[in-house]
Amino acid sequence: MSDKSTIKLNGREYDFAPGETVLDVAARHDIYIPTLCHDPRLDAVGACRTCLVEIDGWRRLAPACATQLEPGMEIASENERIDRHRQTLLSLYMTDHPTDPAAAEPGAPNELHAMASHYEAPMDWGYMESLRDARPDDRNPYVLFEPDLCILCARCTRYCDEIEGVNAITLAGRASETTISTVDKLSLMDTSCELCGGCIDVCPTGAMGKKMPLVRGDKPERELDKVRTTCNFCGVGCQLDLNVDRDARDGQGRIVKVTSPPVGTTTNDGNLCVKGRFAYDFVHHEDRITTPLIRGEDGELHPASWDEALQAAASGLLAVKDKHGKDSLGFVSSSRCTMEENFLVQKMSRAVFGTNNVHQCAAT
Amino acid sequence: MTNSIGEIRDAEFLFVIGSNTSEAHPIIAMEMKRAVKAGATMVVADPRSIWMTSISEKHLQLRPGTDVWLLNAMANVIVTEGLVDQEFIDENTEDWEKVRESVLRYTPEEAEKVTGISADDIRWTARKYATTEKAGIYYTLGITEHSHGTDNVYCLANLVLMTGHLGKPSSGMNPLRGQNNVQGANDAGATPVFLPGYQRVDDPEVHARYEKSWGVELSPVPGLNLNEMMKTVGDDIKGLFIMGEDIIISEPNVTKLEKGMNNLDFVVTQEPFHNETTRYADVIFPAAVFAEKEGTFTNSERRVQRVRKGVEPPGEARADWEIVQALANACGAGWNYTNTADVYDELARDADKFAGISHERLETEMHEGKTGIQWPCPDPEHPGTEYLHENGILRGKGLFVPVEYRPSMELEDEDYGLLLSTGRTLYHYNAATQTRREQGLHMKQSDAFVEIHPRDARKRGVSHGDMVRVSTRRGDVECRAIVSRQVRPGCIWMPLHFGEARANVLTNDAGDPITGTAEYKVCAAEIVKVADRSETKSGELFPGSYYQIEGPGYNVAEAPYGALKVAEEALRQPLSPDKPET
Repeated sequence: MSDKSTIKLNGREYDFAPGETVLDVAARHDIYIPTLCHDPRLDAVGACRTCLVEIDGWRRLAPACATQLEPGMEIASENERIDRHRQTLLSLYMTDHPTDPAAAEPGAPNELHAMASHYEAPMDWGYMESLRDARPDDRNPYVLFEPDLCILCARCTRYCDEIEGVNAITLAGRASETTISTVDKLSLMDTSCELCGGCIDVCPTGAMGKKMPLVRGDKPERELDKVRTTCNFCGVGCQLDLNVDRDARDGQGRIVKVTSPPVGTTTNDGNLCVKGRFAYDFVHHEDRITTPLIRGEDGELHPASWDEALQAAASGLLAVKDKHGKDSLGFVSSSRCTMEENFLVQKMSRAVFGTNNVHQCAAT
Repeated sequence: MTNSIGEIRDAEFLFVIGSNTSEAHPIIAMEMKRAVKAGATMVVADPRSIWMTSISEKHLQLRPGTDVWLLNAMANVIVTEGLVDQEFIDENTEDWEKVRESVLRYTPEEAEKVTGISADDIRWTARKYATTEKAGIYYTLGITEHSHGTDNVYCLANLVLMTGHLGKPSSGMNPLRGQNNVQGANDAGATPVFLPGYQRVDDPEVHARYEKSWGVELSPVPGLNLNEMMKTVGDDIKGLFIMGEDIIISEPNVTKLEKGMNNLDFVVTQEPFHNETTRYADVIFPAAVFAEKEGTFTNSERRVQRVRKGVEPPGEARADWEIVQALANACGAGWNYTNTADVYDELARDADKFAGISHERLETEMHEGKTGIQWPCPDPEHPGTEYLHENGILRGKGLFVPVEYRPSMELEDEDYGLLLSTGRTLYHYNAATQTRREQGLHMKQSDAFVEIHPRDARKRGVSHGDMVRVSTRRGDVECRAIVSRQVRPGCIWMPLHFGEARANVLTNDAGDPITGTAEYKVCAAEIVKVADRSETKSGELFPGSYYQIEGPGYNVAEAPYGALKVAEEALRQPLSPDKPET
């Protein structure tokens, strides 16, 4: 083996580290190789065959995701032979897949569709009814499996096994009846599933979809605005994308769903948990307090204007200070609120009321 | 955390103590699973079986509150077997001799008697920790929520220092922060002792600087911590301002606190929802939630990340920072922040640790392929700090602190024969004002529950699913029993999330002498059955991510989950009296 670990990809020379695959090097240099079954977090399986590339001296095309590099390899990721292979393959995939874009993309973007149009794969090879079983009675409120859209790439089942580690879903059945299922076709609620929704996130075709937006008939993902923000639950600081329908709530916006940013760009590496991905109903909940409230003489809370409430709060707090001294006030700040808000609360306590009796809520 | 979350996957040995990682920090748990999958060894020390114990090499199921014994005994093994990193100790630490002396008394054999963990397991873990290159310690509130929480942390720090597992990737001391911005709230100075950036209020130089910066006179006397405040509510404390905390659910010994709340002159709260605490409020401001405002959260690995506004708040609700500014101005402050970037700039101006961070940088830069910047970040050119103490320990020398075991403040006795610990589950979050309004989470876990070992359940005539009364010296609550071997014999466990069975009616408000953190994890309790399972409303009773109920000869955790109902039925059958306990 030569000392210098280099290969040639599409005629250009690239360095590689031991153990790296064709796809690793291509990804690092922004060279597009299509894949449907690959995910950087998962072990390569080479199942979908869309990433096949040509290696000099090899009789057959080789999967870029699962082929480890050896010094001196000369690789082509695009040529006439590869294109022909991909067209054929994608046409075959499309024979039991909806061709109507609206049906193929009710929620998340459909990577198979995008790929088929990229390679101009013929879509007129006839249509076979899918024999894959669904679990229509699954009462879980989060994950909807639409077998017509499934291409059995097994990203979801492998994610469930290799990343989340709970093995709630698996490939079940044989041949054209192979489907994604649970033990005894149980509802996900009754399995070891922790409802992380990773299966939805990794699915390339939207076969695993977020249930409520689909049932409600919300706009598909491509029509939603993505707002990158930080999760408000635990201390991991996952980045997530709020998918906002701008027109909803009379133009005030509504969160339709939450998706995770691409793998390798944030601390959470594309992962989210059940709370991060699904627990945002509270944002638009009818129980929200929507006006300032002041407790009246009758002991009940009454709606008030902002000015009234601010005056009442200020005079109430200042009265306590005047009567009992500045250290008779306590300021409880919040580890759920932002850094800036905590800064202002401690500044208010210290600079406006003169006491250091300020602590954030997670202290005890 | 001295390390970053992304380093966990490369660790070779993970010592997880007092952290139910897969439920409280699921994404960090994924990184740990990834490390284990790649061949790392994990040891979990926890009184309770948790999901993580199912993939750990060993589960050290210690008696609650005996962490000091376990950790000192591990130190003992490392010292007596000559596994210390003498070079690191000589170069980087102080007071090594004191700790070396003090741990000699904590032999593994004695520790076995106190902790219930075999001396062999203690030795094995200590050796493995000391001799593995990339060995990290991960802990959360199971370490700190004790009356000797600081002692526990010192013990862990001693282990880290004596083995030199610091200032390297994947090797350090990693408290996993429980809340989205608990790090940031402390960083921002929402503590009675520190101004922003951990600058003491009683440091004359700091005091003078902030008086000049803010143009007002400031008190140089440290204030009351939250635990102290809550204990004197209604007495010394006569008025409270509360932003975003349900203290009635979250603080310990609630019955006493509620009496105090009734004696307050004035209470102001800012909340998105009504909760138990808003019942005491004189004025309530409607607050926006995270998706409705701008700002930053700082995560467990000191990474400052942006919070961005996705939707408008409902009705007249406003962002908390706007409300605080308006309230301060109503009290005569004259503040004029136009946005949160202004606020951050002022914060960074007077605190070196964050001086190089600004909203502008957070918006435009990526570091190590990730968003956000990890402090310390002293200037705008600085890339941030991935792991701490790389070039020697920050404070100068790492200080060894010898620790002697002190039992928890309240142990089981004749009247209260069980030890109660409390905690969080995967499906809810703290006071659950947010998560109990989410349909799926509610379906998954709708009812409050208490976990009890089959042996203790049988002694008390309690079966799986029965309604029981859990009582301590401070009060009692009713909830349903889960008969499970997840807990040790003699121990019970409750989640804190449920308003109708508030665990914090039960908990002890005895605080750690240094931090004031209350002893949520250990107090004496007792259980009596109040109604049979058949008489209670039938709701879901799923206890979280790890389900280990036990019937005759049947372990559900290892069985296909389809058999769950069968197993539950089996539990209804009386156990044969001569079945030996294991």
